Amino acid sequence: MMRAAAFLFLWPVVAYAQEPQVSAADGLAAWDRIFEVVSHPRCANCHTGPSDRPMWSGPSYGETRVHGMNIRAGESRIGAEFIPCRTCHVTSNTAQNDTPHAAPQVADAWRLAPVEAHWFGQSSDDICQQLRDPERNGGRTVEELVEHLGHDVILHWAWAPGGGRAPAPYSLSIHIRDMQIWGNAGQPCAAG
Amino acid sequence: MKLTVNGTDHDVEVAAEMPLLWVLRDTLGITGPKYGCGIAQCGACTVHIDGIAVRSCQLAVADVEGEITTIETPDAPETLKIVQQAWIDHQVAQCGYCQGGQIMQAASFLDLVPDPTDEDIDAAMSGNLCRCGTYPRIRAAVRSAARRLSGA
Repeated sequence: MMRAAAFLFLWPVVAYAQEPQVSAADGLAAWDRIFEVVSHPRCANCHTGPSDRPMWSGPSYGETRVHGMNIRAGESRIGAEFIPCRTCHVTSNTAQNDTPHAAPQVADAWRLAPVEAHWFGQSSDDICQQLRDPERNGGRTVEELVEHLGHDVILHWAWAPGGGRAPAPYSLSIHIRDMQIWGNAGQPCAAG
Repeated sequence: MKLTVNGTDHDVEVAAEMPLLWVLRDTLGITGPKYGCGIAQCGACTVHIDGIAVRSCQLAVADVEGEITTIETPDAPETLKIVQQAWIDHQVAQCGYCQGGQIMQAASFLDLVPDPTDEDIDAAMSGNLCRCGTYPRIRAAVRSAARRLSGA
């Protein structure tokens, strides 16, 4: 009885995870929402690709510009060659420092995303192709992308940035759901 | 709450969210780190935590993990001593208000990058503002300290 109940409980999840039952159209619609998130300043400002300069863009920054104070993240992507990101973006377990114009803080090492995860100013299709390419997405399957979304606290900050900053659109849970839909549709991109 | 500052242990009764700078200046009477902006945009409050420069004005004291060193430490590590001497040799300070933070930033930087280019120095020091405009002397002092550290 218990085994049957467990099967009935798990069956939809297992079927959902293993069978690509989502249409390409629904997958592309999910991708469009994903793109709204990853191209949003809360995410893209630190996904600057070959540049080691984080950006300041979005409604709370006025004119788009590079991070003030001549900040460079270097090859380390944590600023070790110049000013470590954590000089201001201290790893904080107590508060996120939501004073306007102050340096936001999370319970993880603040850093720039890897060079290959280039989102700032990139097109929807460019980012779509990058995110489904294991060579450029950290070697992740779609399940691992979803898991990454669930665990990365810098990423979670994007929906609750404080300090008068505009949050990323939708919510973390909707973003995770969209990533699952896009994955189960076979990670479609508009250009094929 | 327990803090180690310049090698001395302290037990302070303060709110967890109080910025470290407030604790240093108002609770412990350590006034070398200065208040400038309160939002990590000027660098006057820079201290070291385990050798890394941090802006103490916007660091909640409960988030401090490691030993704190301020400009007035009587037992300065070698890099900090060399940077302080370079500041004297180049007579960097004008009004001096920002210079404690400048020196702490430079010492932390040279610990990580002992042989920097001028471009590296400018990038590393750009978060520390000086209203007197002593930047050319700051760069010269950092360059001198780097030469001394590398034995040149």
